[in-house]
Amino acid sequence: APAVLAQAPIVLKMQTSWSASNIWQEFAQDYVNRVEEMSGGRLKIDLLPAGAVVAAFQVMDAVNDGILDAAHSVSAYWYGKNKAASLFGTGPVFGASSTAMLGWFYEGGGAELYRELTQDIMGLDVIGFLGFPMFAQPFGWFKGEVNSVADIEGFKYRTVGLAADLFQSMGMSVAQLPGGEIVPAMERGVIDAFEFNNPSSDKDFGAQDVAKNYYLSSYHQAAEQFEFLFNRFSFEDLDPDLQAILKYGVEASATANTSKAMRRYSADLQWLQNEAGVTVRRTPKEILDAQINAWSELLPGLEEDDFFKRCVASQREWAEQVAFYELMNAPDYALAYEHFFPGKLKL
Amino acid sequence: MIGFIRFADNLSAWFGKAFAWLIILMSVGTGYEVFVRYVLNSPTAWALDVSFIMYGTLFMMGGAYTLSRGGHVRGDFLYRLWKPRTQAKVDLVLYLIFFFPGVTALILAGWKYAARSWQYGEVSVNSPAGVPIYQFKTVIVAAGILLFIQGIAQVMRCIIAIRTNKWIEAEEDVFETEDLLMEQASRAEKDSHP
Amino acid sequence: MTDPQVALMMLGLFIVFVFLGFPIAFTLMAMGIGFGYYAYFDARRMWRDFDRLDEAAGTWDQWSTWFEGFFNNRIFDLFVNQTFTVMSNEVLTAVPLFLFMGYIVERANIVDRLFSTLNIASKNVPGSLGVAALITCALFATATGIVGAVVTLMGLLALPAMLKARYKPSFASGIICAGGTLGILIPPSIMLIVYAAASNVSIVRLYAGALLPGLTLVGLYLVYVVGRAILQPSSAPRPSADEVPDVPLGKLLVMILTSFLPLAFLILSVLGSILFGLATPTEAASIGALGGMLLAFLYRAMTWQRLRESVYLTVRTTAMVCWLFVGSYTFSAVFSYLGGEHVISEFVQGMNLTPIQFLIMAQFIIFLLGWPLEWSEIIIIFVPIFLPLLAYFEIDPLFFGILVALNLQTSFLTPPMAMSAYYLKGIAPPEVRLTQIFAGVMPFLFCVIVSMVLMYVFPEIVFYLPELFYGG
Ligand code: NA
Ligand code: NA
Repeated sequence: APAVLAQAPIVLKMQTSWSASNIWQEFAQDYVNRVEEMSGGRLKIDLLPAGAVVAAFQVMDAVNDGILDAAHSVSAYWYGKNKAASLFGTGPVFGASSTAMLGWFYEGGGAELYRELTQDIMGLDVIGFLGFPMFAQPFGWFKGEVNSVADIEGFKYRTVGLAADLFQSMGMSVAQLPGGEIVPAMERGVIDAFEFNNPSSDKDFGAQDVAKNYYLSSYHQAAEQFEFLFNRFSFEDLDPDLQAILKYGVEASATANTSKAMRRYSADLQWLQNEAGVTVRRTPKEILDAQINAWSELLPGLEEDDFFKRCVASQREWAEQVAFYELMNAPDYALAYEHFFPGKLKL
Repeated sequence: MIGFIRFADNLSAWFGKAFAWLIILMSVGTGYEVFVRYVLNSPTAWALDVSFIMYGTLFMMGGAYTLSRGGHVRGDFLYRLWKPRTQAKVDLVLYLIFFFPGVTALILAGWKYAARSWQYGEVSVNSPAGVPIYQFKTVIVAAGILLFIQGIAQVMRCIIAIRTNKWIEAEEDVFETEDLLMEQASRAEKDSHP
Repeated sequence: MTDPQVALMMLGLFIVFVFLGFPIAFTLMAMGIGFGYYAYFDARRMWRDFDRLDEAAGTWDQWSTWFEGFFNNRIFDLFVNQTFTVMSNEVLTAVPLFLFMGYIVERANIVDRLFSTLNIASKNVPGSLGVAALITCALFATATGIVGAVVTLMGLLALPAMLKARYKPSFASGIICAGGTLGILIPPSIMLIVYAAASNVSIVRLYAGALLPGLTLVGLYLVYVVGRAILQPSSAPRPSADEVPDVPLGKLLVMILTSFLPLAFLILSVLGSILFGLATPTEAASIGALGGMLLAFLYRAMTWQRLRESVYLTVRTTAMVCWLFVGSYTFSAVFSYLGGEHVISEFVQGMNLTPIQFLIMAQFIIFLLGWPLEWSEIIIIFVPIFLPLLAYFEIDPLFFGILVALNLQTSFLTPPMAMSAYYLKGIAPPEVRLTQIFAGVMPFLFCVIVSMVLMYVFPEIVFYLPELFYGG
């Protein structure tokens, strides 16, 4: 039978905010692979690393202008345009997990608030979805030991989004930098300490070369998700089934990313501990308490903005309604782990 | 035409030089940050933002001044061998097709970019200090306008050079040490061989 | 034509257009915008407003909306976006500060004191005048980083002194040309900041990495100068007693204390605070600028006129460098949007080169580019083409950068665009011919090549300090 002449695929340009060697570039590739496969080759995504077309922090402007059709990033990277941006990932922690907060986006009214912020309030031509619910992010990397709030005072510390406001109110001086610039900034002395996100990404850019103390557990970014951005025209010009593939591909990639993160993050944490000479500890309780207090002190000032206030209220309500179920219902997994693998949980 | 050339040269020089003084502010401001950060252990939240805003403003606003004084580097190892008339013919064409489209984009697309930033009162994402950057994005438009005006003057220079085979130089008030010394040396040599 | 082929055409055309002599920043900008217009050409999107026009729209509306469609190409937004990225580049903030420091120090009446002190201090060394000239050049060039100023100032000061002492004109000129260009290599060097901004290699690692190679090159130059003075005394005769005043040791110490030490202290404090992580390069540069002003003030060289000159020259040179970045960021964004990087890397990988073959090829191309072009153009425009290939050949971009920095020493010395030689010719007595200058420079070019071979054979020279300061 004569071959059916295949139509040339539609090509979308998608840039990430990550450097090519970061594990998150693979996570973005997981999404791309799923979309291409589901579309039967009708849709192709040209995936580019940060800086290929525009800088990491410029992707929101670039997608809005149509310089890029799509971007793979996090919302905290454009919170200079509106602080409420940070609520879609790097927001106050009310006790709900990352998965629960992804639920807020899809079931608790978050998506509509996101649309209102980007399209109505800021007038941007973008469509956004949240994906992969990240594991809570470590407090990060320090040159020496830190035991108390007093120890971290005056540090130049790297984080992003509202976490920056949080640590500033705790007496740190905060700088926001894209992931690829963290280690050079440590070497230059622009910053003294930093967090990025997870053992694999941190290892990939060489955190262990510039600091040896890694603190797990923190409330500064306990429930972040990837942000998938699409230029409105690039998206709406597609057939409805392709739009659906782009949209639900985000959900599919969340499972793929979670599975891969499980395997890789844990292996890389082991590597950091055993091979790279990194001392891994849990963040001291005093600092964790101070973080929660800092969140509640920070909010009233930010809530002077009407949208910010509505958005936080919606998150707070969602957390109150759902998180108790997860918390009350979950068995103590540590107990079982300790039973079968005794002694491994000690830090 | 010469009147306009002089006007544009002066305009570009005025803005370029006025913003050049940011280098003093930058030295002192960054010096202050060094003091409070390393001596008093209380770094400012704004020093980083302020230093790149000053650096960016300085070089953008100096672009037209540099153009008027022939300071943008050229791959001129052939160009320098040509007669001024030939140089001017090539330059004239390239100003029209190379220079103006981009500079016009700086003004128009830059306007769109800056206006959006004003609309949401954009602040620097680098620190939580909330240092505004909409005015900084507006510098793109201002630099574009200066370059556009200077570009018209450069086109006029080309037209005059095509007619007279001689370039109209901008009035100079500062020289690189090497240019000054070479100028003095060649004058001294001329004087000794009248 | 496929998009990657278009990207290659873009690169090829650029190389042709460079030779037309138009300011390169705007040539790059134009190529980026022109090819970007093609890359982003999308009739449906550009004339969306026109297509949606009401049947009832007037003729004028129809025409103007149709016309606007041509400007509705997203390349213009990309250009603005890249311009802003250069404007907010935090590594480049050190550039104007170091330039300002250089312009101030260059006007601080320092070079003649330095030269006469070193001349007296080294008078018992063979080729003492040449050694003094070379060290003065190296030190002064390190502090200012401005090649032209060093070559001309030293050309007026040391060249006549050497000629009077019956040095061979070619030998004497070679010393000044080669010594004067050291400032772009030895940290704190602006060239390395620019490489850092182009390659994302940490600038402090680059500084640490360049220090020993820079000193190695100075050492090779010194070996050559002293060696030639011993082997061929006629090219560098010993100065007679009346040419170098006999200064008692105490007075010599005071001279060293007042001329050599302050400058050395300025350089060391700037460099030291960067390498020991005490301050960022930008912060150290601001300290250098303030320190330079203090130094000029103490030497009673700080006049209103000189300050103004330094400020205005700073804005012009900064604008020159940074507008090149504006052009090249736009160019390379379009180049990679079209997929150009892929083709180049596939092509080079298809050549089946070994890493050493690749390294030699890359350095040879950069050496050749150094004939017609200057370092800024090469680093900002051409070096980034090689950078994505380094990972494939397992070459450390730090190591590559140091080799490039050494290599580009030659770009000032090789005709047709041998800026050092032209500066010297411009101020030298007429009997010194350009051919003599070029002949005198040749052995120093050879030293540069020897130093590059040394780096390849003993990479520890590059890696020792970065690893010592910042770990593997
Ligand atoms: Na983070
Ligand atoms: Na050359």
